[in-house]
Amino acid sequence: MEPLISVALRDGKRVYHPGDTLTCEYQIDGVARDEIQAIEASVLWHTEGKGDEDLGVHYFERHTVGEVNGGDLRALRRLETRLPNSPLSYLGVVVKIRWCVRVRVFLRRGKDVVVQHPFQLGDVPAVVLEQVEQEE
Amino acid sequence: MESSSCAMLPADANPFATRWTRPGAIDYLFPPGQSAAALVDRLERQNWQGQIVGPHGSGKTTLLLTLLPLLAARRNVIHVRLAGGQRRLSFSPDSWRDGDNCKQLVVDGFEQLRPWTRARLKHTYRGRMSGLLVTAHRDLGLPELYSTDVPLEMACRVVAALPPEANRVISERDVAECLTRHAGNMREVLFALYDVFEQRRNTSDGSVAT
Repeated sequence: MEPLISVALRDGKRVYHPGDTLTCEYQIDGVARDEIQAIEASVLWHTEGKGDEDLGVHYFERHTVGEVNGGDLRALRRLETRLPNSPLSYLGVVVKIRWCVRVRVFLRRGKDVVVQHPFQLGDVPAVVLEQVEQEE
Repeated sequence: MESSSCAMLPADANPFATRWTRPGAIDYLFPPGQSAAALVDRLERQNWQGQIVGPHGSGKTTLLLTLLPLLAARRNVIHVRLAGGQRRLSFSPDSWRDGDNCKQLVVDGFEQLRPWTRARLKHTYRGRMSGLLVTAHRDLGLPELYSTDVPLEMACRVVAALPPEANRVISERDVAECLTRHAGNMREVLFALYDVFEQRRNTSDGSVAT
């Protein structure tokens, strides 16, 4: 059975600024308790475009069965982190920089399921192609 | 609670970005009658010796990544990917000679190794207990397992396997033009279609050329 992973940013916020505190809650559902081996939650950025991809992890936490009372990793969890000054979210033509909260659930038999919840850091305007052509 | 899935394409994403088109993101698309399982069986019949040969961007690495899980179920696989002018292995071929049976060395970009190293590997990883599978741009003296190329039909299937937004904006004619321009190099075709997609996404309807 595929677990249902819920990820929510506090107040439904989508746009943050450098130095803001990001608060996020996540919860696992729809799967038996003993199916889950570990959970990892991270706040990260990655590039997207034509070339090699780059990725930076700003915040990371991992929870395993052994460290949790009763061994139930499905409970609601909250993570909180202060966002850095860079890199800012950017929607360019050749490259885009995206921020997200990523929750990865490790199941038995080596399977894992990932959910990403995007957000924006900063307010750099998106580049449109006409603008690029004019600048050239 | 709002949730989102990794598989979802953000509204402003380009489905031709490396994230969705890199080797391994899409399985190799075989012509009718061929399959990954059949190729692994063929490799076994060749005493686990084989080469995948094809030009740049024709899907050799993608094919290899499609075969690897099946190979790993039957063999002890060491996968080496040589890139960026790398001409040496990070281990001594002899160090792997003894020990477990069913050893399978898989080298992506075999011709980047020096001729002496290639000859040594071919000598070391032969026989019933070990095997060698490589990719190369030309015949390097191993039994041929598969020859890759990209006809238009396959290129269109690759685009069709991308997120649906790709097929809304890009037509078969676009694929054909790019394939001709880049002489069958699917990697370059996908890069070119990335640009076409970016140009069209900003038009009001993202209309498809006819």
